Amino acid sequence: MIRMSLRQFRLSALAGAVLLTLATVYLLRLGGATHAARLPADHHQTMLFLAGGSGLVPAFIGAFWGAPLIARELETGTHRLVWNQSVPRRRWLAVKLAVVGLASMAAAGLLSAALTWAATPVDQATGDRFSTVMFGARGIAPIGYAAFGFVLGAVTGLLLRRTLATMALVFLAVIAVQVAVPNLLRPHYLPPERATVAMTADAINRARMLGGITGGPIIGGLEMPDAWITSTSRLRTADGRVLSDAAFDTCFSHAPQTGATGTFGDIAVCLGRLDLHVDLAYQPNRRFWPFQWIELALYLGAAALLVAVGRWRIRRGTFS
Amino acid sequence: MHTLRAERLTKRYRRRAALVDCDLAVPSGHIVGLVGPNGAGKSTLLQLACGLIAPTSGTLEVLGARPAAGAAHLGRVGFVAQDTPVYPSFSVADHLRMGAWLNPAWDAALAERRIAEVGLDPAQKAGRLSGGQRAQLALTIAAAKRPELLIFDEPAAALDPLARDAFLRSLVGFVGELGASAVLSSHLLGDVEQVCDYLIVLGAGRVQVAGPVRQLLADHRYTTLEQLVLAYMSGAVAR
Repeated sequence: MIRMSLRQFRLSALAGAVLLTLATVYLLRLGGATHAARLPADHHQTMLFLAGGSGLVPAFIGAFWGAPLIARELETGTHRLVWNQSVPRRRWLAVKLAVVGLASMAAAGLLSAALTWAATPVDQATGDRFSTVMFGARGIAPIGYAAFGFVLGAVTGLLLRRTLATMALVFLAVIAVQVAVPNLLRPHYLPPERATVAMTADAINRARMLGGITGGPIIGGLEMPDAWITSTSRLRTADGRVLSDAAFDTCFSHAPQTGATGTFGDIAVCLGRLDLHVDLAYQPNRRFWPFQWIELALYLGAAALLVAVGRWRIRRGTFS
Repeated sequence: MHTLRAERLTKRYRRRAALVDCDLAVPSGHIVGLVGPNGAGKSTLLQLACGLIAPTSGTLEVLGARPAAGAAHLGRVGFVAQDTPVYPSFSVADHLRMGAWLNPAWDAALAERRIAEVGLDPAQKAGRLSGGQRAQLALTIAAAKRPELLIFDEPAAALDPLARDAFLRSLVGFVGELGASAVLSSHLLGDVEQVCDYLIVLGAGRVQVAGPVRQLLADHRYTTLEQLVLAYMSGAVAR
């Protein structure tokens, strides 16, 4: 059954191998450049772009390696041929999932290793590898994403029995999960540490965002050395209350002119005089590897659950 | 031992009952013809027999065990599905290799000899075979694992008369060579008359009659199989 799975996987494996080789060659050349660079932080934009791209890898694996694996057999009726050889259906499923699943994890692992290596000087310069975007493009977590994306594709195909519909659905679903997990789950893997930071004019000017769409006293994109900030309170006054919208708006729209420079200029000066602070929740950077392991375990666990669904379905389903 | 043995076998799809309370005991050593109008439950019975679907209630035993009861039992039953599915991107030789990989009892010599006899090119992609060639390939794969029972679901329905005749002759040849039993569903009474010595007539999800062809003809004083089957089918319709 292993040889059969390999034979059926041959063409898509070849396509995957070509893309993987191209990507690896590119990353090795990039790594040469970053390791030789005098200012590795100059490559930060490239790293952001690559992190976004590597987020698509599990979606492609799910859509192109996972989705057709079983859906195509059911769609073309070849399950009626292969299930009547001397291999029970559950073993057939187990071997198919194992062969292509391991290939998916190996491919993702190789890509991640190359990207992690290429990014090392940049990460050291910027201290950014624990951030929401970068974390998933480093270390071992991508192996979990690949396993999950692949199994999601294969099992959805078993349930839907339509190759194209499964491909489209799985591609979108994997991306949705990749957006949801870093924002909703990852901040809570371990209890965050908390800190109160005074919002002086200087501190405010280091933020990337000030004021919400609705005009509230919101500040965003603060940075903290050696930590990933997972939540930021609104601007608070010395007595701990949230700064009133009116007071915030006064500074935001009618700040007295002082000729100050900096990102937010007079606004920052005006707010800085109000003795404000924010409460932060953050994960210190030393938790990077524990978080990598937790994330890997989470995605592998989800993949294992999906495999159980597939085993149950293939035993109980009606496949005429 | 029985080829097929059913007790109160019932299969319902959401609302429709495909088979209702079927009792059957088909002794081994026969080529069994399963006939009946479209929708009578022929395909359902054969898919139950190879374990593709599970009964709603009642029991069905194939060669004395639950259908598809494990690797060993799967090896004892060869199944050729309706429309004879094959892998379009696999060559004929790839299919034989697949048979060898997936069946411990695979008879490579038998498979290669038969492929040569029916004039199939081993290098030909299965997606480019004609309907008749594809049916021959599917038959060879099912037979070369040396099963004790071969099951055919409307194998020749889509073939032209020449291909159908060649296919049926291959079928009889394999059954003789393997010493196997066979069950074959068809709505073409001519096919059944040509190769079968045991008959099951299904109508409206029930077994209308079952028995050795010669005995059924003698009992009912019909001279041809066609008269016999038509009598039972019209009886089923009237009921």
